[in-house]
Amino acid sequence: MLIAIAYRNLWRNRRRTLLTLSAMVVSSSLLILALGVFSGMLEDMLASATEQYHGHLVVSKSGYQDNHDLYATIRDEKLPVMLENRPEVVAASPRLRAYGLLSGRDISRPAELLGIDPEREEKVTTLMAHLVAGRPLPSAAGNGALIGSGLARRLGVGPGDQLVFVTGAADGSIGNDLLRVTGIFSTGDSGHDNGLVLVGLPWLQQLLVLPGQVHEIAMRVNDPMAAAGIADRLAAELPPGLDVFDWGDLLPEMREAVASFDVSRMIVVLILYAATGLGILNTFFMAVMERTREFGILMAIGMRPRTVRAMVLLETLQLGLLALLLGGAIGLLMTWLMQRFGIDLSGQITPVTYAGGTILPRLHAAFDPVNVWMPCGLLLVVCMVAGYLPARRAAKLQPVAAIREE
Amino acid sequence: MSLIQLDKVCKTYRTGNLEVPAVVDFTATIEAGEFTVLAGPSGSGKTTLLNLIGCLDQPSSGQVVLDGRNVATTPTRKLADFRLRHIGFIFQSYNLIPVLTALENAEFTLMLRGVPQQQRHQRVRELFALLGLEGLENRRPNDLSGGQQQRVAIARAIAAEPAVVLADEPTANLDSRASRELLELMHRLNREQRTTFVFSSHDPQVVDMARRVISLHDGRLADDRRREP
Repeated sequence: MLIAIAYRNLWRNRRRTLLTLSAMVVSSSLLILALGVFSGMLEDMLASATEQYHGHLVVSKSGYQDNHDLYATIRDEKLPVMLENRPEVVAASPRLRAYGLLSGRDISRPAELLGIDPEREEKVTTLMAHLVAGRPLPSAAGNGALIGSGLARRLGVGPGDQLVFVTGAADGSIGNDLLRVTGIFSTGDSGHDNGLVLVGLPWLQQLLVLPGQVHEIAMRVNDPMAAAGIADRLAAELPPGLDVFDWGDLLPEMREAVASFDVSRMIVVLILYAATGLGILNTFFMAVMERTREFGILMAIGMRPRTVRAMVLLETLQLGLLALLLGGAIGLLMTWLMQRFGIDLSGQITPVTYAGGTILPRLHAAFDPVNVWMPCGLLLVVCMVAGYLPARRAAKLQPVAAIREE
Repeated sequence: MSLIQLDKVCKTYRTGNLEVPAVVDFTATIEAGEFTVLAGPSGSGKTTLLNLIGCLDQPSSGQVVLDGRNVATTPTRKLADFRLRHIGFIFQSYNLIPVLTALENAEFTLMLRGVPQQQRHQRVRELFALLGLEGLENRRPNDLSGGQQQRVAIARAIAAEPAVVLADEPTANLDSRASRELLELMHRLNREQRTTFVFSSHDPQVVDMARRVISLHDGRLADDRRREP
C-alpha cells in the first residue's frame, strides 16, 4: 500500500512531476547518446591506430620494438599458426620490416617497407581496405607494392610504375631491387600515407637475405580492450627471448587517451547530474513542504517517522526508475540510430590524427554497456540522494507543529 | 484504574522571550466508556489538552497517564506506536489522505498495524455499513461531502478499536444537520460498542449531547459536570 500511496503522491502535481521527469529523461538519454558518440570516436581512433598497422598484439624478439634491429628475427615458422589456434586470437600475420631509400622517377624518399602475407595481413589489419587506386596486393605478390598516397604523390608514381628500393641486407651487402606499384592506399594517418609501402614477404626476405625469418607477428583479438590480459597470459607461454606487446604498449599515448576518456566520461556525468539533482531536490522539497500538514496527520495516527521517510524515498525511487526506463530506452534508441546511420562530416572537416589514432570526420556511436548502466545507475543514486533531504525533513516533523501548518 | 489520568498537568509555550501558559495545573481522570467534552472558548487550552492526552505533545510538568503509560516518560519514537495501538483521532478538517479512496483511508491504521488485507476490508466494510457509507468505498475524499468525509475519518479512528477516540472540534466544518447526525452516530458507537470519546468543542450541540462536560478557562479547569445518560 505504501508503494501505491507513493506512486499516487508522485502524480499529485502532474505538471511539476512531468517537468522534473522530462529533465531527467532528457539528461540521461542525451548522456547515453553523447557517451556512445565518444565511444564511437574512441573506437575509430583505436581501430585506426591498431587495425590499420600495429594489430592488437605483437610478438617479436626482445628489444626489437625499441630499436627495430634488422637481425632481431623470429625463425619459428609454425609460431603464427600456434598463435592463431588460441581462442581469443582471430588471426596472426607474420611481418618483416626494412627501412631504406625508395626512388620513383627522379625523386628518392626514405620509406618503411613492410613484408606481409596479403591473405593473413588483411585478417589482422585494414591497411589494404584503404585502397584508393590500382588493385590489392595479390597472394603471390612477386615484386608488387602497395604504396601510401602521400609517398606516391611525392615520388610522382601511380599504379603500374616502377620503384627502386635500396637498403642494407643482413649479410652486409647492399640490397636493391625493382618494385612495381600495384595500388595506392590512403588511411588518413599521415605517418602511414607518407612513408609506408606494403610488399610481399618472400620478396623482402630475399632482398634482406633473411629466408624464413620475420621481425614480428601481429595479431587481431576478439576484444581489443582485453588485449593486455591476453598479452599477460601469452607471455608465459612463449619461447624464451620473445616478447608480446599489446596495443597499449605500442601506443602508450592511445592508452592514455582511453584512460582519460573514462575520467572525462565520469566528469561529464557528474556535471550534468548535479544540475538534474538540484531539480529533483527542488521538486521533492516543494512536495514535502506542501504536504507538511498531511505528514503531521499521518504521524499523529501512528505512522512511524522512518515509514514517512521511506514513503518520500519511495516517491523519488519511483520517479528515478521511471526516468531510468524512459531515458535508457530513448538513449539506447538514439545510440542505435547513430550507430547504424551516423552523420557524415567529411564535407565540413578533415580527419584528425591524435594519440596515434585517427578521428574520422563523422559522428558515429558505438554501443558499450557501461555507457548505459553508468548514467542509469548514477541517475538513480542522484535521485535517492536528492530525495533524502526532503524525506529526512518530513520524518523529523513534530506532529503537533505540522498539523498546525496551513 | 482510570483510562486517562491527568495530574497537575502544565503546558507552557515559548514565543520568543515570552512564556505562554496553555494549560495550568489541570487534574482530572476519565474512565473507559465515557463520552466527554472539553468545552471552552477559543484559546482556553482545549486542543492543547487533547494533544497531551493523544501523546502528540508532552507536558511541561505534571503527569499524563494513558492506559497505564506515562506519556512524559515515553520516548518520542515509541509514542507513534503507542498512538497507533491505543488512540484514534478525528480532526476538525477531516484530514483524510487525498490520494487514497474512502476505503483505503479507513483501513490505513489497520494497514500500519500489519493487519492482512482481507481482514482489513472486512472490518472497514462492517464500519461503512454502520456509518452509512456503503457504496462510497472507492471515492476519493474530494468526491465526498464534508459529512461523508468526517464519517470516513471516524471509521479510520475506530477501525483499529483504540482505547480512546479523541476528536478535535469534529463538527466545526459541518452544517447543523450533518453535525447532529455525526454526533448521534458517535453517541451510538459509545453506547453500543463502549468506545470512549473525548471531544474538544464549543459547539452547544456537542456540549448538550455529552454525558460529561469539562469546562476550561485560560488553561485552567473551570468546571467538571456529569449528566445522567
